[in-house]
Amino acid sequence: MTVLKTSMRNFFAHKGRMALSAVAVLLSVAFVCGTLVFTDTMNTTFDKLFAATSSDVTVSPKTAKSDSTPQNGRPDSLPASVLERAEKAEGVKYAEGAVSSMNVTVVNSANKNMGSSTGAPTIAGNWTRNDLRSMEITSGHAPRGPTETMVDADTADKHHLKLGDELRTIAVTGDFKARIVGIATFKVTNPGAAVVYFDTATAQRELLGTTGRFTNINLSAATGVTNDTLKQNVISSIGAGAYKVQTQKEYSDENRSGVGSFMNVIKYAMLGFAGIAFLVGIFLIINTFSMLVAQRTREIGLMRAIGSSRKQVNRSVLVEATLLGVFGSILGVGAGVGLAIGLMKLMSAAGMDLSTRDLTVKATTPVIGLVLGVVVTVLAAYLPARRAGKVSPMAALRDAGTPADGKAGLVRGIIGLVLTGAGTFALFTAAHADKATDGSLVLGAGVVLTLIGFVIIGPLLAGGVVRVISAVLLRFFGPVGRMAERNALRNPRRTGATGAALMIGLALVACLSVVGSSMVASATDELDKSVGTDFIIQGNQRIVPQAAKAIETTPGLEHVTHYRDIEAKLTTPDGFSDSDGVTAADPTYAQDLHRKTTAGELTAAYGRDSMSVGSEFATKHHVKLGDTLTVAFKGGSTAKLKVAAITDDDVVIDQGARYLSTQTMRKYLPANRIPPDQIMFASAKSGQEKQAYAALKKSMEQYPQYQVRDQSDYKQELKDQIGQLLNMVYGLLALAIVVAVLGVINTLALSVVERTREIGLMRAIGMSRRQLRRMIRLESVVIALFGALLGLGLGMGWGATAQKLLALEGLKVLEIPWPTIIGVFIGSAFVGLFAALIPAFRAGRMNVLNAIATD
Amino acid sequence: MTSAVTIPRHGGTGGRTAVAARARQVVKAYGSGETRVVALDQVDVDIARGQFTAIMGPSGSGKSTLMHCLAGLDTVTSGQIYLDETEITGLKDKKLTQLRRDRIGFIFQAFNLLPTLNAIENITLPMDIAGRKPNKGWLDQVVETVGLADRLKHRPSQLSGGQQQRVAVARALAARPEIIFGDEPTGNLDSRAGAEVLGFLRRSVDELGQTIVIVTHDPVAASYSDRVLYLADGRIVDEMYQPTADQVLDRMKDFDARGRTS
Repeated sequence: MTVLKTSMRNFFAHKGRMALSAVAVLLSVAFVCGTLVFTDTMNTTFDKLFAATSSDVTVSPKTAKSDSTPQNGRPDSLPASVLERAEKAEGVKYAEGAVSSMNVTVVNSANKNMGSSTGAPTIAGNWTRNDLRSMEITSGHAPRGPTETMVDADTADKHHLKLGDELRTIAVTGDFKARIVGIATFKVTNPGAAVVYFDTATAQRELLGTTGRFTNINLSAATGVTNDTLKQNVISSIGAGAYKVQTQKEYSDENRSGVGSFMNVIKYAMLGFAGIAFLVGIFLIINTFSMLVAQRTREIGLMRAIGSSRKQVNRSVLVEATLLGVFGSILGVGAGVGLAIGLMKLMSAAGMDLSTRDLTVKATTPVIGLVLGVVVTVLAAYLPARRAGKVSPMAALRDAGTPADGKAGLVRGIIGLVLTGAGTFALFTAAHADKATDGSLVLGAGVVLTLIGFVIIGPLLAGGVVRVISAVLLRFFGPVGRMAERNALRNPRRTGATGAALMIGLALVACLSVVGSSMVASATDELDKSVGTDFIIQGNQRIVPQAAKAIETTPGLEHVTHYRDIEAKLTTPDGFSDSDGVTAADPTYAQDLHRKTTAGELTAAYGRDSMSVGSEFATKHHVKLGDTLTVAFKGGSTAKLKVAAITDDDVVIDQGARYLSTQTMRKYLPANRIPPDQIMFASAKSGQEKQAYAALKKSMEQYPQYQVRDQSDYKQELKDQIGQLLNMVYGLLALAIVVAVLGVINTLALSVVERTREIGLMRAIGMSRRQLRRMIRLESVVIALFGALLGLGLGMGWGATAQKLLALEGLKVLEIPWPTIIGVFIGSAFVGLFAALIPAFRAGRMNVLNAIATD
Repeated sequence: MTSAVTIPRHGGTGGRTAVAARARQVVKAYGSGETRVVALDQVDVDIARGQFTAIMGPSGSGKSTLMHCLAGLDTVTSGQIYLDETEITGLKDKKLTQLRRDRIGFIFQAFNLLPTLNAIENITLPMDIAGRKPNKGWLDQVVETVGLADRLKHRPSQLSGGQQQRVAVARALAARPEIIFGDEPTGNLDSRAGAEVLGFLRRSVDELGQTIVIVTHDPVAASYSDRVLYLADGRIVDEMYQPTADQVLDRMKDFDARGRTS
């Protein structure tokens, strides 16, 4: 009881000193809870959406997948006769045929894509009674006839569409135009899909290219009939096995699983970053409690002298930590919900509509937040608590002065060096691994070991590194600089832990920036070496025939290459077979992408009934030049093709691709099973590059879903994409860095309190406030630079190792992004200055008399 | 009302006035209304240049407060304090800091030295932060006098209490301040080490013409001074020139007795 009372008193007496630790716990817990709430809310949104949009029972073709369109670009469909039979099943209130395609692009009269910018699909279909479950027509009427369409209200709002506007729908079967006659509003949150409706006949004709077929059949159950009963009835009516029959729950579950796994990736990635923030927070908490214990040495000694047991002292510190953990976590849970709402608003601004109506805080969320926050805090406080328990009763009798400096011990040094050594060895091994998959585990081990090793020897390195930094930087600041250096050095363990917190975040930044720029450099290098084409045309929809036609007829082009992946089963003479498919391209592809061969000539592979295989495949399955492979085209016939070339697989683009000509493919695949091009290449007539590029862009204006890029734009795009990805990761790492900065502030603030008498003395003998503040700022800068130096060094090491390892996967060029690295280093100095603002201000305001007041 | 103002006379060092510091009608009060506590009650005092002055008095008499105010460490409620001809009451922190740095030396009871700096760095610290070069000859002489020549590279934690105080004295002297204030400079030392430090302070007055003011409750320490000022209840109640330890002790006993009977 007394222990608890003392702890409570201590906790509240020192609440100022605990504040920053509480903020660190708060931030980490908030990030965890925010992630959980955000992803749960997204799931709720999709659950509601899928539940509202699916009918009681849905019949679809066996092969249909809810989240993808077959490669030929036309959704799988079933004949109208199925509808007739299903309708007759017992318990059917009504049945209707639905047509829906996600392989479309909708543009307005200015050729602007009406689809979502966030990757959500554009869905075109017929307007059915089932849609009334999730939507209502808020203006105009449902579409009737071939020239009418209806659009969802969110899309209409976003693109300022109104009744009477004309929309063009680009499907694989052709383009067609229709005027908006109605606008329908979702009753549930639609996170971003653009939806357009037509009448049934139009949808069948334009989206499926046929009449009398549907993509699925929606059945509504009569009153008193459960979905499961209806499902059984329908199965017995249309026959089992031929079609997929799903209840509302089954259908929406299938829809959701795709979204769910995507959400899980987001969730675990974000939780990973929260974990890093927690890790950094641990250093802050350790430092706080170490300092509190050090400052209270005399008090603890007194407690021990009057009879407290070690255990009691130890426990009293842990109780304080628990209070801190509980307090920080409760606030963190609240902040987490706020963070989730903020994130949703941010997503809305980016074009993904999420509504706070769906805000989902599961009961487990606060529990996870609280448990995590408290456990981490108590674990972090364990070492300082143990040290408190070891305080001898004699401490009460000794003069207070400054608490004994923590000397970095020999044992620490040995353990740290051993770990760092083992880590370095692991990194070295990873860099020389023969297979990327084997090496990645070793790389991971190396990263973790070197990180722990650096954290442990940090205090030992602090001495040397701080001296070097000071020698370079602080000598311009005379005695103030010298004192800042000495202050940073006086407690290496503290400086080490504070710097280590910053080190972790910056090491990751450095590592990722090295990998990122190496990716750009390697890709650029590969593109320079192998790509011969002038222009690359691709988009998120396969290139529809009418767009391909527009490319082919563009003036100024020397040649145009079609490129498609084809589903096929391939069997070697020795009986091995796989379903990895083949690549059908025009013979000009050999000029568009230069590939070395280990045997034969690539041009020969584009000959009649010929093909090529990759060198790895050839070696593995003993395929030689002139061998005959059996290729069974999916949806087509089976071909016997002769191996006319073996390509060298030491590349990134098209590694292991098995080429054959478009001509050969056409022979074995019926026209309506031939998929649209994935990508097209075009080369300009010599000397007409500029004009051709402009002409290509012009002819693709009406197909905004495709991008035309020349080589330099393509490289730029690649760079931008990687840059964006890195920026996102940096943004998430910012949390860890913020916590680390809090750690620097915390260390300085507590040091200032600890050095009250010293500061008073310095002020008494004539140090000005400005000099005092500068001294603290410089100390802060030195600590920050120490952390930055270690972090950047470690991170570059990791990055370089990762590059060496990934060289096996094509990451062949190591590029250290010096501007970024140097920028981060200089930025760290400013971070140090910033962190010192408040502690320096407070030190300046300290009463001079405190120095000489004898206690 | 007793005051300790001497008639100013010229002489002493460098043609400056014979009074190094003076206080006029200085009041220092804490709180207000019912809880108002007056630490200094209209005190007038002159500190003679080139002399060793000791301020004595029972706990709570205001002796430390008086010293803090004279040294520009604490502000006064009313009245004026002059260092030489400069009025320091009303000076802004910046000027006051400069004044302490350039014209005043300090020796505290404990915690006089920065633990991160070694002895010589501590000694030259006031000049370092002022950006001035110490006078080499003078510094050597001071170091020589305090007998620290072989300990200059030691950190405070490697020095004994007496050695630490001697470093503090050396620091106070090294910058050649107009006046040195000591707040119980021997309070934490045993009698032998205390005598060493006091003897050294005495010598610096006699040989170097240094002005020194110390606050003490130790009659032996006071006996090293030229003049003892007695404070009680925030006023100067008595003074004594060329005191001996016994005289000081007797006088203090008187005050104690008077305090108890009144």
